[in-house]
Amino acid sequence: MSLAIPNGLDNTVERPGERAPLVLGETTYHDITEAVCKVAERPPSKGWIGGFLVAFALLQVLGLLIVYLIYTGVGVWGNRAPIFWGWPIVNFVFWVGIGHAGTLISAILFLFRQEWRTSINRAAEAMTIFAVACAGTFPGIHVGRAWLAFWLAPYPSLNLWMWPQFRSPLLWDVFAVSTYGTVSLLFWYMGMVPDLATFRDRSKNKYRRMAYGILCLGWSGSSRHWMRYEKAYAILAALAAPLVLSVHTIVSFDFAVSQVPGWHTTIFPPYFVAGAIFSGFAMVLTLMVPARKMLNLEKLITIRHLENMCKIILATGSIVGLAYGTEFFIAWYGQVPAEQFAFLNRAFGPYAWAYWTMVSCNVISPQIFWFKKARTTPWIIVVVSIFVNIGMWFERFVIVISSLSRDYLPSAWAYFTPTWVDWGMLIGSFGLFFTLFLLFCRTLPVINMAEVKATLAKQEHMAHLHGHGEEASEGH
Amino acid sequence: MDQKTMSETKIETTVHGMMAEFTTVDSLLSACRRIRDAGYTKTDAYTPFPVHGIDKALGIKPTALPWICLIAGATGTCIALAMQIWMNSIDYKYIISGKPYLSLPAFIPVAFELTILLASFGAFFGMWALNGLPKFSNPMFTDPRFDRATDDRFFLYVDASDERYDANGVRNLLADTGSDYINEVVEDDSPKEVPKPVFLIWGLSVAASLVPLICILTMRVTNSSKPRFHIFFDMDFSPSKDAQQVTSLFADNRAMRSDVPGTVARGQMEESLDMLTGIDVEALTLSDPPRVERLVRAYMQADDEAKAEEKEAIEAEEKVAGEAAEAAPASVMDTTPWVAKNPLTVDAELLAQGQQQFAIYCSVCHGMDGYGNGLVNQRAQSINAPTWVPPASMHQETLYADKYPDGKLFSTISNGIRKMPGYAGQIKLKDRWAIVAYVRALQKSQNASLDLVPESEKAAVESAVAEVKAELKRQAEAAEKAAAARKQAQQ
Repeated sequence: MSLAIPNGLDNTVERPGERAPLVLGETTYHDITEAVCKVAERPPSKGWIGGFLVAFALLQVLGLLIVYLIYTGVGVWGNRAPIFWGWPIVNFVFWVGIGHAGTLISAILFLFRQEWRTSINRAAEAMTIFAVACAGTFPGIHVGRAWLAFWLAPYPSLNLWMWPQFRSPLLWDVFAVSTYGTVSLLFWYMGMVPDLATFRDRSKNKYRRMAYGILCLGWSGSSRHWMRYEKAYAILAALAAPLVLSVHTIVSFDFAVSQVPGWHTTIFPPYFVAGAIFSGFAMVLTLMVPARKMLNLEKLITIRHLENMCKIILATGSIVGLAYGTEFFIAWYGQVPAEQFAFLNRAFGPYAWAYWTMVSCNVISPQIFWFKKARTTPWIIVVVSIFVNIGMWFERFVIVISSLSRDYLPSAWAYFTPTWVDWGMLIGSFGLFFTLFLLFCRTLPVINMAEVKATLAKQEHMAHLHGHGEEASEGH
Repeated sequence: MDQKTMSETKIETTVHGMMAEFTTVDSLLSACRRIRDAGYTKTDAYTPFPVHGIDKALGIKPTALPWICLIAGATGTCIALAMQIWMNSIDYKYIISGKPYLSLPAFIPVAFELTILLASFGAFFGMWALNGLPKFSNPMFTDPRFDRATDDRFFLYVDASDERYDANGVRNLLADTGSDYINEVVEDDSPKEVPKPVFLIWGLSVAASLVPLICILTMRVTNSSKPRFHIFFDMDFSPSKDAQQVTSLFADNRAMRSDVPGTVARGQMEESLDMLTGIDVEALTLSDPPRVERLVRAYMQADDEAKAEEKEAIEAEEKVAGEAAEAAPASVMDTTPWVAKNPLTVDAELLAQGQQQFAIYCSVCHGMDGYGNGLVNQRAQSINAPTWVPPASMHQETLYADKYPDGKLFSTISNGIRKMPGYAGQIKLKDRWAIVAYVRALQKSQNASLDLVPESEKAAVESAVAEVKAELKRQAEAAEKAAAARKQAQQ
């Protein structure tokens, strides 16, 4: 890929007093419909089929390993005393974090009236749902008897005669993640209904028309419907915004409420949330940069969209870096020997390799986005966002493993080594994620057509006004 | 509808209303305003995206959705708090890290999540309910061009049930607004049958989804004494073998295994028999094999009976030897081949260890200096304890290494002598040997001359001796003075 942006596709130039166009070229409403619907309507490309086969094979790996795990027991994992919270929790926190960007783009950017979100929010929300599905897998099978995981639910059990323990952060997690998954799903689906109606109306095939007809609930585009719909969307956004912040906060409580040195810190909630947004945006970029190219959506997902996300990555990456520094400062300032040891051990102990991988990927690599050239060059963006994903996985690894492997008692120290099952499940979870994402690309609208059209209408309206203004000034 | 129109519907299709198509938002909005100003209220616009300002242009009232949402959210909070308080504070109390049964701060996260969840349900389902969706049949869908309402066209619709509705009037009004496609919306007469394969697939999936449910229900009502089902074996079936079973795992087919050569089982000794007993076992084997056998039983196999027997034997020997010692200095009766030399390497560290242990266990009777005048002895003397046997001085010649071998001293510490009990239970094996080493050093120190001290430390020793002498002198003088003062006071 060359560094040059194709002519007419550069909307990253700042023109004071004028909004940069979010939809490029001589695009009409129908062009948007065509561009998005074609992704799902034309036969799958070779690239898609290849990618799907690979992802689906990895998904099978995950499935088989889960069967193996449940049949044999959790001993097939590398979780041993004292590291009982090993790899699966690392994966869980990693995937929950990935999910955050979707809802953040949809909800918080919506509330701030950031219209550049419109062409990326659908895919980002889909990513959220799939990431939460991946995340939910791990705690689900991490309980020793996975087939009894439903005991976590507060239902009147005739066998147990007891209730769950609501003072435990682990149970808060159950509520937080399931609420997050449910609300994200509602938000995603609701946002998709008008576009599904477009799919229905374009369907030539009877069954296809029926399937989309059922999915879009008989949406007709009535203005009375739109009015309530927009109200409901705004309410859901307002509800989802604190939800996003709460979910990772509660996930961080799992650690912060414990007494383990390196975990027992009040910085965890904001630090985890910032990290989650950071990793989520990195995953959105990892997916969107190749997808916009392959699906020919460059006019809708413009370089400006990518640039804006890079700026968010730069900001959150710096917050994460600040958090790393603050942890060391507080360890020194707090004068708790166990805490001080935990942080020195992180940076210079047996897991120093993981710590410095994390720092170089999370803190150093995004700093390249200070340069506009880097922010607007797709291949650099992809490389950095993959680094960030790796770094954020390692962040969770460092927190979970290094603190547990060396806490208060040197007699209870051990080094964690993952087994092949651990590796297989991590890779397999990517299979689950990408399988779902590729299916989504083929069957559902990858871009929120209705909102992009509304953005285009506004853009045209503004241009129209501007044009009038020019005419008026000419006249005088 | 009155009687007349009812009869008309039977002859021709019902007219639902009139609609007009527009290509831009602005033309739609101006048309909406005109229709509204003309007094029509049962109107609606159909657009591919939300058009802002259309509520005003059409006269659409705000929705009650936020209130539904608020009520749903508040319900969520109440349910969550009531649930947690009931479950953890009333019905099933248990103490977790000293937290109160009713700890509201801990209940906040779940209350927050359920509030959001129910409020979201309120917004989501409330919106669809208010919109009257899902509704899969809509007369608008009959229009061939209406498919573009979700693509790039804007439609304005006037319902026939509006009081002012008049087909020609509405058509003219709409034409006036600049629309180039105006059409009557009629009853949908397309076939309403669902294709048969859909039913088939639906039926099959319902049937399939019932299978697990039926399985579970069957298992729950079964009277069989056998386990209901065994997908997961847990620990129900242990693969371990019983003692007398056969197995193919080992060449001899025995499930029960003998000890691997060299295995030291729990309770077996960790040191050599010489070190444990202080007796040169090799030499004893030549002179007294039965006693060696007893020693092995006592120490190697932890046989308490043999141990007691051995102790008795040693005590008897000591008694005889002790009595004889008064007559003749050399012990004629003691035939045991004692270990002559401390088996541990004697160095400063071991001596320090021995000194510490001696101070803890021995000095109470024998005194810190080993002269046999410890605190217990002083007390026993002052109260004239009738059965008290004064402890031996370490510095009498009979206890020197040439007459009282290290092994014997060790045995005495371990098993006791006369009034002294055995200390094997209190003092660890190596510490007992360390005491032996220290006692030897103590003995040597009492007869040491200054020439034995290295030249470099001579000065220090001399000054220490001088200091001690001065101190003793000072103490003696002080005691004298005190005695004189007492005497004076008495007079």
